[in-house]
Amino acid sequence: MTELLDSTSSSESSTMTESSAPAISAGDGPLKMTTRNVDVFYGDKQAINDVSIDVTMDNVTAFIGPSGCGKSTFLRCLNRMNDTIPIAKVTGDITLEGEDIYAPKMDVVQLRARVGMVFQKPNPFPKSIYDNIAYGPRIHGLASTKEDLDNIVETSLQRAGLWGEVQDRLQDSGTALSGGQQQRLCIARAIAVDPEVILMDEPCSALDPIATAKIEELIHELRGKYAIVIVTHNMQQAARVSQRTAFFHLGTLVEYGVTSDIFTNPTEEKTRDYITGRYG
Amino acid sequence: MNSTATFAEERNPTDWQGDVMQKRIRKRYAAERRFKALGLGAIILSAGFLAFLLIVMVGNGLRGFTQTELPVEIDFPAMTGGAAASQFEGANGQANLRTLGVQDIVNASVQIQYGEKGTELFSAGGWQAVSAAILTDPKIVETKTTLYLPVEAEIDVAYKSDGSASAEQKVTELDDKLSTGFNKNFLFNSDATDPMQVGIWGALKGSLITMFITLIIAFPIGVLSALYLEEYAPKNRFTDLIEVSINNLAAVPSIIFGLLGLAVFLNLFGLPRSAALVGGLTLALMTMPVIVISGRNAVKAVPPSIREAALGIGASQMQVVFHHVLPLALPGILTGTIIGMARALGETAPLLMIGMRAFIATPPSGIVEPATVLPVQIFLWSDEVNRGFVEKTSAAIIVLLLFLLTMNALAIYLRNRFETRW
Repeated sequence: MTELLDSTSSSESSTMTESSAPAISAGDGPLKMTTRNVDVFYGDKQAINDVSIDVTMDNVTAFIGPSGCGKSTFLRCLNRMNDTIPIAKVTGDITLEGEDIYAPKMDVVQLRARVGMVFQKPNPFPKSIYDNIAYGPRIHGLASTKEDLDNIVETSLQRAGLWGEVQDRLQDSGTALSGGQQQRLCIARAIAVDPEVILMDEPCSALDPIATAKIEELIHELRGKYAIVIVTHNMQQAARVSQRTAFFHLGTLVEYGVTSDIFTNPTEEKTRDYITGRYG
Repeated sequence: MNSTATFAEERNPTDWQGDVMQKRIRKRYAAERRFKALGLGAIILSAGFLAFLLIVMVGNGLRGFTQTELPVEIDFPAMTGGAAASQFEGANGQANLRTLGVQDIVNASVQIQYGEKGTELFSAGGWQAVSAAILTDPKIVETKTTLYLPVEAEIDVAYKSDGSASAEQKVTELDDKLSTGFNKNFLFNSDATDPMQVGIWGALKGSLITMFITLIIAFPIGVLSALYLEEYAPKNRFTDLIEVSINNLAAVPSIIFGLLGLAVFLNLFGLPRSAALVGGLTLALMTMPVIVISGRNAVKAVPPSIREAALGIGASQMQVVFHHVLPLALPGILTGTIIGMARALGETAPLLMIGMRAFIATPPSGIVEPATVLPVQIFLWSDEVNRGFVEKTSAAIIVLLLFLLTMNALAIYLRNRFETRW
């Protein structure tokens, strides 16, 4: 508990000095999102206890931990998806570019456009591939002409590495694609609204190893263009794709630091036990 | 190692080939066969009932679409004193026809051919067929024409099946002259006292208007209620209470909705009795709970992942509902609407309560005009003493069933269209 408090206080000071925090250092790119002392309650049950994490532009941040440790819950606080659960209550400060996202004047709809999300199970709309991508830009009015929209669709699909596979069949249903393609379609759909942060909630858990490899490759390519936060069960995946790793256990943030440090030289006993497979 | 060895020693292998096991297998197969036979039996039984219903209805009802006729030769030039065909063309045709006195001409012609009491052989309103014939083809007034006019109801019944003794005797006398023709009256007339003159059009039009009003009121309100309750309303005791109330409303006997309609629409709002508007409103009250319930189920069945996907790229709650949830739920909502509307179409009791059982001899021309609907018309005709109404009742049932089939086919077509689009 003392260690946790230490890490909390040190990361808090990082916002002040930007240098002393273990997780954030020069070369990590601009600070995108900060969370301070976040608690989440589902009714009486506390799901997240006092979590403080910083998300930077140039790093992929991975949340790892055993099932039910609250990593997905915490991720969903970052774009206020927890708002849809009536009994969920979030306290603490979460900021995007310095703005408190839980402030009353914050527009949730705009927030979710700025902080995109990719879900565990690929969930394309039962519409054409084109409409899947074009939906976001349409509702946000990002394209004024048909050409603009076509361009957005093409660039989004290209960035998601799907353009080559689907360019001849943009009018086919998005649900007719394979699982891996569907997930990349969902990533393209998130990219299409030009977000600043992309949250990925176990994006590969429903995919085979080849599709997983493609998604991981894609995450590498997207790094730097978007701040990426990924929740994963798969520790190897966290090690492969992320530069910062946060280990959650029973709703608390046990350890947060540079991925290589977490995996080779964790400071916490629990982290070591988890990554060596002693439990989880 | 030690424990597995003991396990193998202690293990008593299951005898899969033994008598007990074989007997169990046979029993299982027998149970499967019994179940299949029962299911098939149920299907055959219900198909049998349906076939019986259809055969009886069609057998009786088809006669309602025909009429027994006698030829009447009318010497128009002599009778009218040389009326010109041009008189009955265009806008003034109807007025000129009225002054012509068609009924007297027809009666006179009938008396010439069938004797003094000849007019008794014919349906009282039969002469109207002559008026209609003149209007469609005015040239006949310049010639001697033979027209087939419907006979009196008792003779009609006697000719088609078994009638009263006196009518049967007349049928034998006239047998070589009697013929069967298509009964146009039945499709284009409204209710009448003479079964030879009744028609279904008034009731059909009343049903159409009533159903239209029911649909435009019950569908949007029902769908919006379902969407609001599922997507917006907080889940608390109050909404639970509303849900229970709606479920109960769907089970309330229809006649009670009739009483409600009577109390609210007629007594409180002062709307006219027997109007299609009131009927539609009353049936909408009855149909709404069905649409709300099926709508809620359809909305519930839309996978949450679709909502999350839309919310995740910044769709507002309303955009999620109208761009994603509603289109995906629409086939299910339409299924519920079909069920509700079909029930409303066949409903009689609540409409009796709001005065739709009146004798309506002209088709309604608006939503506040006195109207009746098909099931009420069937009910009224089935109550008539005149035997000529028996086949008319069956014929009206055929029309009602056809209406129902058309409505359902349309709804299923729409549902499939929405399904393939998504």
